[in-house]
Amino acid sequence: MTEAAVFDSECFQTTDGEIAIVNLNSARLRSWSRFYQDPQRPGVAETVLEHEQLTAQFAGDLSALDRLEAFGEGLGRLDASSARTMLIQAQIASALHRFSDARHHLAQASLGGAPSADVERILLNIDQACGSHLEEVLDERRRIVAKSGRFEDRVALGALLADVGKFNDAEDIYRQALREYQDVSPFPVAWVCFQLGMLWGELVPEPQLPRAEHWYRKAIASLPCYVRPRVHLAEIYLSSGRTGDAEAALRPALASGDPEVSWRLADVLTADERDGEAAVQLETARSGFEMLLDSHLLAFADHGAEFYAGSGNDASRALELAQINLNNRPTVRAFHQTHTIALAAGETYAAAEILAAATMRWGSIASLRLSSVAHGSPESREGAVA
Amino acid sequence: MSDHIDGPRQIGDPSADLTDLFAFTSPENPSRIVLAANVFPTCGVDAIFSNAITHSIVVRRAKVAGIGDATKFETADPEIRFSCRFDGLERGAADGKPVQRGTCLMPDGQTLRFLVGDEKGASTPDGTFRIFAGMRSDPFILAWIFEGGAMRKFQNLLLNDNVLCIVVEFDTARVLNPEKGSLFAVIAETLPIPHPGAFVGHPPPRMDWVGRPEQTNIRLNNSGLKDVDDIRDLWNQQSPFAIDEKVRPLFLQRLKDSLANYDMRDGKQDWTPSALAADAQMFVDDFMLFDVAKPITDTSHLEIEKSTLNGKAYQTGGGRTVDADVIDVLMTWIVNRDREFLEGGATKATKPGTKNFPYFAAPNMDLQTVAETVDVSATPDKVWELIGQFGVAYWHPLIAKILLTGTGPGQLRTIETIDGKQIIERLDAVDNAGRFYRYANIAGLPVANYTGTLSVKPNGAGSSVEWRAQFLPNGPGTLITKTIVSTLFKTGLDSLKSRF
Repeated sequence: MTEAAVFDSECFQTTDGEIAIVNLNSARLRSWSRFYQDPQRPGVAETVLEHEQLTAQFAGDLSALDRLEAFGEGLGRLDASSARTMLIQAQIASALHRFSDARHHLAQASLGGAPSADVERILLNIDQACGSHLEEVLDERRRIVAKSGRFEDRVALGALLADVGKFNDAEDIYRQALREYQDVSPFPVAWVCFQLGMLWGELVPEPQLPRAEHWYRKAIASLPCYVRPRVHLAEIYLSSGRTGDAEAALRPALASGDPEVSWRLADVLTADERDGEAAVQLETARSGFEMLLDSHLLAFADHGAEFYAGSGNDASRALELAQINLNNRPTVRAFHQTHTIALAAGETYAAAEILAAATMRWGSIASLRLSSVAHGSPESREGAVA
Repeated sequence: MSDHIDGPRQIGDPSADLTDLFAFTSPENPSRIVLAANVFPTCGVDAIFSNAITHSIVVRRAKVAGIGDATKFETADPEIRFSCRFDGLERGAADGKPVQRGTCLMPDGQTLRFLVGDEKGASTPDGTFRIFAGMRSDPFILAWIFEGGAMRKFQNLLLNDNVLCIVVEFDTARVLNPEKGSLFAVIAETLPIPHPGAFVGHPPPRMDWVGRPEQTNIRLNNSGLKDVDDIRDLWNQQSPFAIDEKVRPLFLQRLKDSLANYDMRDGKQDWTPSALAADAQMFVDDFMLFDVAKPITDTSHLEIEKSTLNGKAYQTGGGRTVDADVIDVLMTWIVNRDREFLEGGATKATKPGTKNFPYFAAPNMDLQTVAETVDVSATPDKVWELIGQFGVAYWHPLIAKILLTGTGPGQLRTIETIDGKQIIERLDAVDNAGRFYRYANIAGLPVANYTGTLSVKPNGAGSSVEWRAQFLPNGPGTLITKTIVSTLFKTGLDSLKSRF
């Protein structure tokens, strides 16, 4: 069945992406104001967390990560021992890929009497992000979807199915999420479109770039300021020699300050033999990555590794970062990335060790993924913001 | 909250979330009726209407079809529907700030274009209809905390909040033709707009709707009921005026359980089982009643329903005005059946309604923040020993004298500064173990809604002292007010350096 046929029934538009971003920012500032006024009021801290997470994920505002971190610290000073603080700190730590910290906070929250459903939900996200107990996580995700049918639960299940190589099932779940969607916020729609782009462009053994392009374009149409699909779409354009389109996709995202945009733009400019401009963008990307790694190492280790393995041209830094990421979250993608980078760096012994460890942990899934030609940037998804 | 964030699904796009519905006689002209619907709870100061939603206010003629324990209100076609849609953003001409326009389809087929935020609104050429859409101060008062089965008085939880507001005013005689009957029922709903090129969603196309206040967040989602499903989304997908007969028993049973639970919140049973069942039957038909031939006042909300349930003829126009304290009216009714008025921790909204179109007060400004810190070498305990007593602030070089009234939270300090000015502040919370206190300014500074905190935390071998305040400037302008507060804080904190 074609994508068009799936969505040929009566459908509804979503709120203009520009309006949604203005509204998110307005509500975010208001939630901070309410928090400052009475930090103990039920729900206010959770709203700040939600707004900053949305801002980090969709609004191309990386400073949201700094605000989240400062928020967690501030909350700790105000109300260090409460289960509520621990739950929020766990979610912040998870968003920043500090999964050990997140687990510690969750344990404390549980001891402090936090609702077990909240603890289990966050723990499930962490296990999925770290590739831990995936069979159990998959069973639980399926159970949750069967019970709740909520949009975010479907997307989490789709991401997990993609992680374990069940690509068609993942696509079905994503499509179902879009069909069942009954809201007008463009954020969830853009998110699923991006996931579908990733599925066809990055995760399947044989990438189907036209399908990936289709979904990245839909993600951008829903939410023009969404940086990640712009970067991936530009990669597809560049791979087929459409440098003008690639540059047009990236330019609007430059203001976000995301170093990945500068990096991909540098690649586009290099392909166009505009070496001077490319050098400027590359340097911007390098300093941008180092700044992010300096403040949020675990959140950006995989992205940094990819950069240094590519145009960043520093194989040892790439391997160092890839190994940091692998130690933090030993997913198939992390093994795949580290293995590829080790091979490229000429570290054949290290590569063999990684392959052995991956096979031991992941069996046939690892064999499939690690034997394929290296492609694309491993993406953080569930529990991640970058 | 009335209908604020009334279901998991509404968390998606907050601008689709209907918070409140109003129906009242125009304060400017008693021959006109005003209907208003608000969306987007706690929307901040820059919020904009979604361009993907039709916002509708729908009126039907109503009649009393039964009284006492047989109370029933029936509604009839045709619908009198006002439907507003909003455009995408336009670049503003002057300051580059985006502007938004909308279109309202009136019940007689006239369409009216309007500019969002224009307080004059727009009127049809024949003067029958007038509309306003834009941000306003949220007039809702929620001054209770509901925790499990308990209710606790609290400050207004929506203090300083704004909402996006749609106000429709019209000639009562021409539009409603009260000669045929003066009782009406009204609801508001948000509907997604079908779009040929879109690729998400499926019918039925309903997002949220609201009739009487608190159908969802208080009556259907009673936190005092244990181990029950959240059925608010299911409720929001029902068609107003036509609840699906298959699920009606589910809602009815939930309302009975919920109302029985509220009845016992004060430990006394005020509702007989039959009266409670009648109340639940009345509430499941969720629309707001108003009678255009009778007075609609700040206290007439729910009077039509209550009198009818009590077996009497109603005396007022019911409806809901901007300043109606609807939560207290509702809680009094369902907890003790009007035996004793239950008053929450506040009875006034952030700003009262106005006598002039569009009747909802101007939006609240963003709270301003001033925060100053100083690092000192002494331990936190040592520093707190000096500055931690709300009533003993002589460490501050600008303070000449302090007069205290009361002790503990609620204590007032009247400060006389060295230049003879007087500042009055109230202690709201203190935590000596956590080394912070929070206070409010009552008088003496050109501010409103001022909340200050003073805290000491460890910083290496020494301490870091933070003095922070949030407030609305009230007088000489934001910059000057912030400078006044900042100078007060800095002078005090700088003086600590020389003490340790």
